[in-house]
Order: sequence, then C-alpha cells, then structure tokens
Amino acid sequence: MTDTDDILRVNDLSTRFFTEQGQVNAVDELELRIERGEVFGIVGESGSGKSVTARSVIDLIDAPGEIIDGEIWFDDAELAETVREDAPDAVDGSFVDLLSVSPAVRQSLRGTSFSMIFQDPESSFNPSLTVGEQLAEAVEVQRRASANPRSTKAKTDSAEYSFGNLLLSTVLPSQQFVTEESRERAIELLELVGIPDPVERADEYPHEYSGGMLQRAMIAQALAGEPDVLIADEPTTALDVTIQAQILDLLDDLQTETGMTILLITHNLGVVARMCDRVGVMYAGEIVERGTLEDVFDDHVHPYTEGLLGSIPELGGANGQLEPIGGNVPSLLDHEMEDRCHFADRCPMAMEDCLDHPPEFDAAGSEAHTVRCVLATQSYTEREALPPNYFGDTERPAGDKHAEPAHSDGEQPAERTRTTISDSGGESR
Amino acid sequence: MSSDDNRATSSVDAGLATGIGTDTPDGEPLVRVENLQKYFWENDSLLDRLLGDEPVAVQAVDGVSFEIREGETLGLVGESGCGKSTTGETLLRLQEPTDGRVEFAGTNVYEMEGSDLTAFRREAQVVFQDPFSSLDPRMTIGDIVQQPLDIHDVGADEERRERVRDLLERVGLSVDQLDRYPHEFSGGQRQRIGIARALALEPEFLVLDEPTSALDVSVQAQVLNLLEDLQAEFDLTYLLISHDLSVIRHICDRVAVMYLGEIVEIGPVEELFEDPKHPYTKALLESVPRATTDERERDRETLAGDVPSPRDPPSGCRFRTRCPMVIPPEDLDIDQDTYRELMTVRERIESRDISLETVGDDDQFTVEDGSVPEADIPAFVAALKRRLFDEPLPPHHDEIVETALTELAASNWEDAAAILRTEYESVCERDHPGLGNNTHSVACHLYGTAADFEGAVDPNSWRG
Repeated sequence: MTDTDDILRVNDLSTRFFTEQGQVNAVDELELRIERGEVFGIVGESGSGKSVTARSVIDLIDAPGEIIDGEIWFDDAELAETVREDAPDAVDGSFVDLLSVSPAVRQSLRGTSFSMIFQDPESSFNPSLTVGEQLAEAVEVQRRASANPRSTKAKTDSAEYSFGNLLLSTVLPSQQFVTEESRERAIELLELVGIPDPVERADEYPHEYSGGMLQRAMIAQALAGEPDVLIADEPTTALDVTIQAQILDLLDDLQTETGMTILLITHNLGVVARMCDRVGVMYAGEIVERGTLEDVFDDHVHPYTEGLLGSIPELGGANGQLEPIGGNVPSLLDHEMEDRCHFADRCPMAMEDCLDHPPEFDAAGSEAHTVRCVLATQSYTEREALPPNYFGDTERPAGDKHAEPAHSDGEQPAERTRTTISDSGGESR
Repeated sequence: MSSDDNRATSSVDAGLATGIGTDTPDGEPLVRVENLQKYFWENDSLLDRLLGDEPVAVQAVDGVSFEIREGETLGLVGESGCGKSTTGETLLRLQEPTDGRVEFAGTNVYEMEGSDLTAFRREAQVVFQDPFSSLDPRMTIGDIVQQPLDIHDVGADEERRERVRDLLERVGLSVDQLDRYPHEFSGGQRQRIGIARALALEPEFLVLDEPTSALDVSVQAQVLNLLEDLQAEFDLTYLLISHDLSVIRHICDRVAVMYLGEIVEIGPVEELFEDPKHPYTKALLESVPRATTDERERDRETLAGDVPSPRDPPSGCRFRTRCPMVIPPEDLDIDQDTYRELMTVRERIESRDISLETVGDDDQFTVEDGSVPEADIPAFVAALKRRLFDEPLPPHHDEIVETALTELAASNWEDAAAILRTEYESVCERDHPGLGNNTHSVACHLYGTAADFEGAVDPNSWRG
C-alpha cells in the first residue's frame, strides 16, 4: 500500500466500556488505513464494534466508554504546524496523533475536518427549532471556528452563547447568534443536498420533513464545515429502499464533487457493494477481513465473511436453503473472551490452531487483502478439526438444525452488548 | 361451519381439540380478502366535533383484494406507510375494517361471533416484528408459550406443559430454558419464542409481520429457514409482510406489491421478480443494492420524491406523482422526461408549493399583495422558469408554461394550474387503474386501455 495517500491511520485502537457486568472490549487493537478520497466501508452485525470504531475516530465516546490505547494519525499539514510547538510528540511529518493532542484541538476538528451523519434522522434534530436554524447554527460555529481555527471552545463559551443571551434572543433579533450569511449558507446547503424549494423548507420544523428529506438535511449539516472525512453511521438503515437509493446517490455525487473521504458504517452488504472502494469486515471488535471490494466479496478467506454473504437471500433468484451462521454474536465481556479466534465457536471449519489468537495474514488478491484467519496459510483438514462440542454443550435439539447452541452452564446467552453499547453507540447526540 | 370437526391430529396434540373446520372445497382459497378498507380518523374526538373540525381520513388501506390458497406463502411488500401491516392486522380482525370482507375458509371473519370467533382466533395467528416488545418481560418463556393454551383451555395441565416443551424444541430452544425470562434471550431466540407461541394452538394460517427485520442477517437466515421447515411440516399458510424484497423472493410463492394503501401488482414470485410490470415494482427492484462486486457499475434509475400523504392521496393512479412513465395525453408530442418534469411542476403549483417571494436574485422582485408589478412580469416569469426547469422546454410547451407562470405572477394559483391541466391532463390522474383478475395482474394504465394510445410509452422502455 502506498502510504503517501493515507489521510487517516489508526494504530492499536482499543476502546473499552466499563459496565456493571464487567469490562466490554468493544474495539480491540484495531488497525485502519484510510486513503484520501476513498470510501471505506466497515460492515458487521450489531454489537461487532463498528459504530464504536467510528465514534472513537471522531472522539465521541462517552462514559462508561473510554479509548484506553492507540494512536489516530490524521494527515493535515496545517494542523501539524500549529500543534508542533505544544506537543512535538504528537506530530510525525504532516500527520498528527489526535489522541495525544489536547481535547480542545480534537474538538476544533469536529465539523471542519471530521463530520458525522447518524442513523436516525428523526431523533438527531431538535424538534423545537426550524431545520434552517439548526443548519445555520452549524454553519455559524464552523465560520467562527475557521476565523480562529483552534479555539472553538473558547468561542462557544463566550458571552454570545450564554443562557441570558439565549433568553434575550427570543425578544431581540439583534441578539441572535445566527447571522444572515449563515442562514443563506444554510439554504445553499439544503439546495446542495437536493431539497426542493430550500428557502421555504428552511423555515419548517423537522416534523414537517419526511425521513429521506431529514437525512438529506443532516448530510447538509455535516457538510457545513466542508469536512475532509465524513463518517456515515448506518446512514440509510432507517429509510425505505427507494429513498435509500436516493441518499446513496447523493453521497456518491457529493463525494465525487468534493473529493472528501467517507468512512461508511453499515450492516448492509448491498450498501457496501454500492458505495465502497475498500471494506473491512468487523467481528467481535476486530477487523477479521479487509481488502478491496473484490477481495472481500469474491476472494474472501474468512468463514465469517463467507457466512455473512451466504446469509443474504438473493434478489436475482431463489438460492435454495440459506446457509446461516449458527449461534449468536459473541460476548465482548473481557472475562468471557478467550484468547483465541473469536469466531471459532461458530466456525464450521474450526481447527486446533484457532485456539491461538490469529494475527492478520496476507491473503491472495490485491495487496490490501488481509485476513485474521489461519485458513490464509493452511487448508482445512479433518485431522486437525476441533471436536464438534469443543466449546461447551453445542448439542442441538434434533428438530432443528439451524438452532443456536444451547447455553448450559448458567452462562448468559449473548445479550450483553445490547445493554452496554446501545447507550453510547447508535444514533443519538 | 361445523365446530366439532377435529382436524387430523399429530402425536403432539392428541386429545387437544381444534375447533374450527378448515376443510375448504377444492380450489377455494383459505383466505379471501375482498375490497378491504381501513381508514383511521383524525380530528375525530368530541372536542374536535364541538369545535366544528372536519374529521380527516387517513386511508391506510383502500380497496385491497387478494386470495391466499392453502399451504402457500403470499408476500405483501411495500415501503413504510403503504398499509401492509394494517392489512395484516385488519384481516385478522385485530382492527375493525372500514369496509370490505374477509373470508376465512369460506366464512366471513367480520360476522363471526362466539365460538366461531374463538375458533378463528385459534386458527389464525400472528408473529410480530419486534421480538423485544412483543413478549411480556414478566413472564417466563414457558408461561408465554403456554398462555394461548390456557386461554383457549386446551388439554389438561400436564398435556399443556408437554406441548410447550415440544414447541420450544421444535423452534430450536432447549427445554431447560423454560423458566427463563425474555431479557435473557437474544433477538433471534426471542423471535423463535414468538413463533412457538403462534404455533401453540396448531393454527392453519400465520400472519408474519416483518418477522426478521429486527434481526441481523445471519440470524435472519436461521429464522427464515425455520419458517420454511415449519411450513413444510405443519402445512401452514403464511401471509408474510415485509419491506425486504430479497426475503420475499426467498420464501414466498406469490407476491403483492402495495403502494399507498393499494395493491399495484400481484403475481407469482418468479414472474414478478423476473418480469415486473408496474413502474413502481420496477423501481423498487431497481433500488435494492445487490451484494455483489458488479453493484458499483450497475446503472439504476432512482425514484424522485417521497410517498404522498395517505390523508389526501393523488387522484387516479396513486403512483402518478412519482411515476417516471406517467402517460401524456394521446395527441401530445412530448418527450417523456419533459412531461414528467411538467407534471411535477404542475403538482407543485396545485399544492402551492412554490415560494414566489424568493424568485430571482436578492429581492429582485417586490411582491405586493401577492402580485409582481406589471413591468417586471416577463423577467419574473423567466427567472421562475429557470428555477423550475433544468433544461429549456420545446417552443410549444415553453409558450404554455409561460402563460401559466404569468398567472402566478399575480398569485392566480388556480388559473395557472387550470391552464396546465387543460393542456397536460393525463389518463393516470383521471382514471383509477383497476387491478385485473389474472394470476399476474397489474394496476397500471400502461397495460390497460391506455396502452393502445398512440402517445403511450412502451412499458419496457424504462428499466433503468
């Protein structure tokens, strides 16, 4: 891989959640390289850690979550210059390690360098303000930030944003912190994302918008600061297919137009196929297989990737019985995770070597294709296969061959990630 | 209907009487829905009536007819808000219909009373979408699955417990989980519990309302396979409601496509997916991203706009406001794309969805009392036209549009709309296309009488 094009390099990123049930290893020593101008997709099932990865990059992890280790190198020569004085260790050439700079600097990058769109547009807007106001506010914040790039925080703490001022603004128009220029820019943004009659629409409240239009408005808001990297967390999951197609086309067009980099988080393999240049498949907090779209869809090595693709009913023709992956997404609780391949207990091809945690092996296909599975270096042999009930009692009731393994020893079935991650992951702001 | 007609019972339910006779005469469908209508009324409270507000009807389901034969799976597919779930609930009489008739094994469901109704409740069951909210969190799963048996007083205590154990094993859960509570299970397992509960009374007919949309793909595949196996084993008849076309394709025998409260196309699954007729079905199929590497290159046309409100659905064909193939008047010489654009502009004028104040650059025109000064009118019309149309129009149409926009300069919305209506009225808005009565029927003028018009577009010319 040519490293000159990278805009983002994530090394050894580990994000943990410290919950009552124990420590949850949501993201575990994750490596990620994203090139400038590409669309990188992270695909995985719920609870695999894909949203937490995205949120870690943009520093939106709330308690009880914490990024406990890792480096996030971001390529921005200008930022590198500014930071060099205060934190020389955090700079390497034009790259800046976002995790070693001060939180204020990180915050100043939000909107201007990184921006995020969320899954559920309906809950991401304030219902009591018009869409135009909310967009103009984003524009205003970005404008002030770029006027004085590294101190957005100081700006937003100033008298202009005080509570008294907010009350005053309800009676005195002059006190409103959204200027006329910001409003106009907001309307331009609405037009850019294809909202008909943006001037009128700007004065409407979120409930007057349809789901697809709100998602457009949210994209407009994310574009307010002309970000280098747009993180889209399940941007079309809440939408109908015809609207999903519109939104994907819009993202595609905007990407071509602005050349921005998109990190797309989704569970939908069709969306990945439509949008992405390169893909990472996440499982249990790790990327288990990554590469170009062709590598992952056609030349995949990991049985999990195989299982994911085999689970989708085909639109083009009946593909007989589906071949689902048995079992459930595993527990990410630290004390329940063993140091082995995390997929081994569901894997139809588990071998003795899978009891050691596999590193990332190079795999056939493009240079970028790597896989966290021993099958990259050896082929499956019956001789080394693990006995079927190796991982506890996996005996299934005779009546159903698609059953999930029974949990016999009083251990809780895979449930935990829902309760822990969903508070912090997901869509709300 | 004889109420003591016991169905041939399997070893599991020996001695558990099923009440309703489900013998259907040969060729008669198990479920027949005729012209089903369900309106929800807004502004219908006493206060609203005292204040003199007119009630508004949300036409969730408007004249839906279909049949489900014994042992088959009918899919009901459509976007959110198209009325597919309401159809499912209404035909089970979980909602009272506004109009229409549903026959189950030859008997009108809405006229059932007493023991007949109880018997129907036993024979027709439902599995809901959300496995997290459709199970009582304070009941153990054993109690949840046993509850239908208790309510319908089937068998003795021991028999009921035995049956619950059989059911749980059948759907792939282990018997030692009987005393656990729903929160201890994952989404896929909960959906299995919901299915076990629906099967407890040995129903003939199951309405599956988005049974897998809350599940991850790998778990969804497990549940779909389970549903298929159960159908083969117990001769079940399914109505599968889903927005996911690939799920429908995988498990259904026939499909009905719904749009805004109506069925626009119905037919055998193969035929409908291979050779979709209705422009909406085509667009729907086009829109689904395929999980293959060719997907990036695949050209597809997306539908513009949103689904109109079911409070005030468009006249004629309800899809005409988004239809890329809306039919021009027969004597009109016009390009299809231009016609679509004209129709969209006309709809905006009819709904007064154009802001006249903002035409032109920064306050170029002063709009006083709704009208632009005489001298500015040509410039105003030109500016407005630029805003509404991407490409210049052919001369003849340009003239008509200019006349209409001139009316707008004086805020004469009605007149502007009338001018365009006379010139461009489409058969799609005049007549409501009927759904035929064939194996593969489609409610679209392109396939009815309208298809004979000279100006009509070849229905196969647009496949994106």
